[in-house]
Amino acid sequence: MLSESVDVAGSVVSESMGEGRRVAITGMGTVNAAGAGGTAAVAQSLAAGGTTVAPVKAFAVDRSRSRLAAEVDVAVLATLIDQDRGRRLSRVCQLAVAACELAVRDADVSGGTRLGIVVGTEHGDFRSSEEFAAGFLRRGPAGLSPLIFPNTVMNAMASLAAIAIGAKGPCVTLNQPTVAGDLAVARAAALVAAGRAEAVVAGGVDEICEVVYRRLAVMGALSPAQGQGMESCRPHDPAHNGPVAGEGATFLVLEDLESARARGATILAEVVDVAWGGVRARAHGVRSRRIDRDSAVAALIRRHSRSRAGLARCYGAGNGDPGVDDWERALLAHDLDGHATAGVVPPITLAAQFGQHAGLGALRAAAAALDASRGIGPVLVHGIARGGCRTAVVVRPPDARAA
Amino acid sequence: MSDTRTSLARPPRIVVSGLGVVSPFGAGLKTFWNGVSAGACAIKPATLMETEGFRSRLAAEVPADAMAALPASRRRTRADRMALAAASEALADAELVGADRARAALLVGAVGGGMYEGEAWYWDETRSGQRAAGERALRSILPFSHAETLANRLGVSGPRETLVMACASGAASIAMGADLIRAGVVTAALVGGVDALTRICFMGFNALRLLSPEPCRPFDRDRRGMSVGEAAAFLVLEDADRCRERGARIYARLLGAGTTTDAHHVTAPHPGGEGMIRAIRQALEEARMAPSDIGYVNAHGTGTPQNDGTEALALRSVFGDHGVLVSSSKSLIGHTMAAAGSVEAVATVLALQHGLLPPTANLVNVDPEIPFDCIPGEARPAAVAAALSNSFGFGGQNVTLVFGRGDAQ
Repeated sequence: MLSESVDVAGSVVSESMGEGRRVAITGMGTVNAAGAGGTAAVAQSLAAGGTTVAPVKAFAVDRSRSRLAAEVDVAVLATLIDQDRGRRLSRVCQLAVAACELAVRDADVSGGTRLGIVVGTEHGDFRSSEEFAAGFLRRGPAGLSPLIFPNTVMNAMASLAAIAIGAKGPCVTLNQPTVAGDLAVARAAALVAAGRAEAVVAGGVDEICEVVYRRLAVMGALSPAQGQGMESCRPHDPAHNGPVAGEGATFLVLEDLESARARGATILAEVVDVAWGGVRARAHGVRSRRIDRDSAVAALIRRHSRSRAGLARCYGAGNGDPGVDDWERALLAHDLDGHATAGVVPPITLAAQFGQHAGLGALRAAAAALDASRGIGPVLVHGIARGGCRTAVVVRPPDARAA
Repeated sequence: MSDTRTSLARPPRIVVSGLGVVSPFGAGLKTFWNGVSAGACAIKPATLMETEGFRSRLAAEVPADAMAALPASRRRTRADRMALAAASEALADAELVGADRARAALLVGAVGGGMYEGEAWYWDETRSGQRAAGERALRSILPFSHAETLANRLGVSGPRETLVMACASGAASIAMGADLIRAGVVTAALVGGVDALTRICFMGFNALRLLSPEPCRPFDRDRRGMSVGEAAAFLVLEDADRCRERGARIYARLLGAGTTTDAHHVTAPHPGGEGMIRAIRQALEEARMAPSDIGYVNAHGTGTPQNDGTEALALRSVFGDHGVLVSSSKSLIGHTMAAAGSVEAVATVLALQHGLLPPTANLVNVDPEIPFDCIPGEARPAAVAAALSNSFGFGGQNVTLVFGRGDAQ
């Protein structure tokens, strides 16, 4: 039996967006293990299904317990970032810049003081941090590179992407495990609804770098955790034994609905509700028997699941980590309380297709937006991470509410 | 996109009801204010890392005895211990308990995370070529670890965010936490920033030749760079109505915030201060104030030739020559990175409360290009109704906050 707790969370732009501006999704861009491009490319890679998970190519893994990953094709990234920029930008910054450029091109928005950016990331540019420190350990102060150092600050991806797309509004980097991409989308919706920006490019980015991959494998944070069972990403499967690392960047363009309509933009979906909060848990821990009775996330899910339209689908954060998978199902089962239809519990997961990375949350939101563009909705994008950060984003077909 | 900014529909109604600080002066708000108001400089020879061969050998460290006295377990990272102490003090100061605390938002500005301990492990393993002890430190190496630790230990379970916005992180946590209150999402928010010293940070600013060989001297003609520091500072922001309803003390009102990006260069500010000027003007617009309503500016004031010059340009553009009193807290406690915006916000709030403006230490010959009274040496008594706190960071991140006295209606 689940234990009730007094965990609470707030947050929302909602139906509660009622008091602020309405928020539309008008474009997207992605560079992931399945390919790269705008809305059409995202739709194509989602429709392809299957998995991009394969043995790691970027570095030798023969002595590693984990050997799989969903890696971005080097040749695909090279078509988006020319050699000159490739020399100046670290790899994770290249991913972020390329995906943001694809997103603004897809939405046909231009830069300026009313364009913002929100980047979610789990690991940031750890490759640069390691390279910078290694320079010192090899050669002392003379080995320190002033060109690498700025990348060690986690906002480098957002800042360089902001320069690339001319975003001079709020430029926010959110560091969060598992749900960084969906949290970025939720925060961006709040910024637009509050009038802090007219449009915000929001999503997530991470790369697979050797030092982080090896350490996560040693710590048992990747499949096969603790070395038990076959290595594979199996979210919500009884044999799940850890996530498989992925990489890439996916960004959506969230925009003031009226502004989008005024400029004749293609409106893929409307973001009608967002909430994020915390379920009390130890740092990095899971409390799969703890629910959050009073939180804004729980209230959002109750509100939508019991509405006349109900929830048509749910994309969840389950990634094969048994603690996260089990906690997510328990939280959703409690909040839906029997008001779930097929496709909501267990939630649809994309982790097996693209691997776990911060862009995955944005891919979930992108999948929900594409569903909405086909008339399916409302669609819930749900997230729960170790440590207890919980997110919810609800999107609808663009004409579901009167203009 | 068009350049017309629309103000938020609701009038600002946010107050500061609690403060907590761990700084190079030691632990606690009182210790911090005693140091700031005395104009003491806490920048001293660094003890936490190797400095041989570097341009500077100085840092503003939290004193060892103060660290030893912090209640959190020594198994936690240095940054987590500082954050726990400062955040606990702020919550206790605000007397925020029960559902008010449980529902509060938690926004933490952070950059280094638990990197100090992670570096120690990496140094040992790389130099020895053997598997080193201390691998456990890697679990807390990322910035989000602070928020997870604070949320769990302090029972703050509202919306949680870890903001990594370089040296503007702490100020951004205040601006974005205020937005959640203003939107009616929460009635209270625990906001602030934390950064412990890290080798990478110290070495990085050395590589950029931005460290001063002597304690930094912002706005001085002979300034030679910045001094690195460490701190944690948290504020409790509250909906003014709820704060009054529960009878809590009001330190100050948060009247407005501006958040902009230069989109110009990853380490250098826009030479015309364009993004800074927009941030200051946005904050004033949100506060519904004219520049003449501001009596004091707690500047970003790092002490680097470029930052101080550009910030002065921006202030001059908004306030005109000689229009406002300006000082830099970094001359006292160094540049505390992600904590800087929140620790300087605390200094600004206390300056309003006490009617005493913090000085700029080490300022001997004011740069003739900086046409402001920069309050050299000694704190200045002045009954100021409203003040502004600037924070700027790598990536062209600009955040400006406007505070008003708590006793004003």
